[in-house]
Amino acid sequence: MSITEKILCSKSHEYILDNENGTYTVGLTEYAIEQLGDIVFLELPENGIEFKKGEVFATIESVKAASEIYLPVSGKIVDVNEQLADAPELLNEDVYEKGWLVKIEPTGSAAEFNDLMEYEDYKEELQ
Amino acid sequence: MTKETYLHEKHIQLGAKMVDFAGWHMPVQYTSIIEEHKTVRESVGLFDVSHMGEVFVSGKDALKFLNKIVPQDISKLNYEKAVYCQLPNNQGGLIDDLIIYKLGIQTYLVICNASRIDEDLNWMVRNKRGLDVKIDNQSHNYSLLAIQGPKAAGLMQKMGLNTQQSSFTIKAGEVCGIKVLASRTGYTGEDGFELLVENEFSEELWDKILEYGKEFGIKPIGLGARDTLRLEAALHLYGNDLDENTTPVEAGLSWSIPKDKKDEYNGKNVIMKQLQDGVEKKLVGLKMLDKSIARHEYEVFYNGEKIGQVTSGGVSPILGANIALAYVKNIKEICTGTVVQVMIREKLHDAEIVKRPFVQKRNKITI
Repeated sequence: MSITEKILCSKSHEYILDNENGTYTVGLTEYAIEQLGDIVFLELPENGIEFKKGEVFATIESVKAASEIYLPVSGKIVDVNEQLADAPELLNEDVYEKGWLVKIEPTGSAAEFNDLMEYEDYKEELQ
Repeated sequence: MTKETYLHEKHIQLGAKMVDFAGWHMPVQYTSIIEEHKTVRESVGLFDVSHMGEVFVSGKDALKFLNKIVPQDISKLNYEKAVYCQLPNNQGGLIDDLIIYKLGIQTYLVICNASRIDEDLNWMVRNKRGLDVKIDNQSHNYSLLAIQGPKAAGLMQKMGLNTQQSSFTIKAGEVCGIKVLASRTGYTGEDGFELLVENEFSEELWDKILEYGKEFGIKPIGLGARDTLRLEAALHLYGNDLDENTTPVEAGLSWSIPKDKKDEYNGKNVIMKQLQDGVEKKLVGLKMLDKSIARHEYEVFYNGEKIGQVTSGGVSPILGANIALAYVKNIKEICTGTVVQVMIREKLHDAEIVKRPFVQKRNKITI
C-alpha cells in the first residue's frame, strides 16, 4: 500500500496519516508545497500543546509569503520534526518521510475525520 | 479582464507558475525563486517585463512639461541618457517612480510601473494644459525584455548588439537582426540591458536570447526573483515602499533630487522644505537576527514603542539572511547598528538596522 492510499487530506491542503499506534502524522500535501515554492522557514508548535480541529498550529514561509497551517483534527502535539528548523527545504524534497511536520494524539471525536478526503478525491477536487 | 503579454504562451510552454500582477497574468517563477535569483547574480537571466508602461512625450514644450512633473532636472538630461525620476503630487507624495530617457531634441520616453499607468497618464494630462506637448501611451505596442546579470553584456555582444554604452544610456540597435531600443538599466542591482521591442518581434527575440544564452547559463526569471533581487539591491517597489503619502525625501531618494533646479515642479515646496528641515519618518534597511521573516505591513518597535512599519521584506538568498525595508521614526537613536524589533505573529523578533543596499550593486558601467 503506497502512502497516498493511507492518508486523508483537508481542503486546506494538510494530510493526516494513521501511524496505527494511537498517533497520527500531519504534514502538507505535495500540491501545497508546489504552490508555495521554495520553503525557507517553519514555525512549529512545542510538544504537549493541544489544538482544536481547524486551529492554526504552525506557520510556513516560502520565499513569497507566510501561510498558516491548520490541524485537520483536534489533537495534542506529541512529536515535532526538529530537522525542519535547520533544513526547511526538506519539504521541497518530500512531504512524508523527511518533510512531515508533527505527530499528534487525537483528542476529538472520530466524527472529526468525516470531512477529510481520500487522496484520490482530494486530487480530483484540485482539478 | 487580466491582460497577457505577447510572451504569455512562452511562459506557459516553459512551465511557469502564473499569477495576477497589476492586472497582468505574469510568470512568478519557472523553477525556483532562489535558483532563479542566484542565476541572475552569477550569470544571466531573462525577464519579460512587458507589463511596464511606455509613454512617449514629445513636442516643443516636452522639456518644460517634464520639468514641471518631476523633481529631477530634465534640462540636464543629455541625448541617449536616462535618469531615475519620481512623479510627485502637489503634496510631494509619489504617484509613481519612473525612468525618463531622452530620445531626441524634443522626444522623451517615460517608463512607468504597470500598476500606475492610468494614474500617471491622468496626472500627465492634467499637467499639460497650455503646453505644446504630445503624451503618447505606446504600452500596448511594445514588449520589454530585461537581460540581467554579470554575463548579460557578453551575451548581448554575442547577439550582435554594440554594447559600448554606459549604464543609464539608451541606444537604438539590433539584436540578431531585430531592431531594439537597448537601455543599460535594470531592477536587480546587476549590470544588464532592457530591450524595448515592437510586439511582433518579441517572441523571436525571447527565443533567440534563450538560445544564444545557453552557453552563458541563462534562465528565464519570474517576478518572484525580480522581487528578491530588487530587495537585496534596496530598490523601491511602488505600492510597497512608495505611495502617494510618502515623499522622495522620506523614501531615502534625496540623492536623486537636485537642490538647484530653477523650474517649479509639483510638490516642490514640500520636498525642498523637507530637504532643509528633515522628515519625521525615514526608510531603513533591516536584517533579521533570527530566522523569522518580516513582511509588508508588519510593525516595528523600539524600546517597546511602535516606531514604524515594514514595507518590503523577505529572504536574501545571497546573504542567507532575511531582510526588509521599513519606515521608522526619524530620530537619532534609530540608526545603522540599532537593534529594533519586528512584530511577527504576535511576537517581537530582533532586527538590526543595516546599510542599504543589502548586497553590493554591480550595475555601474562606464564606457
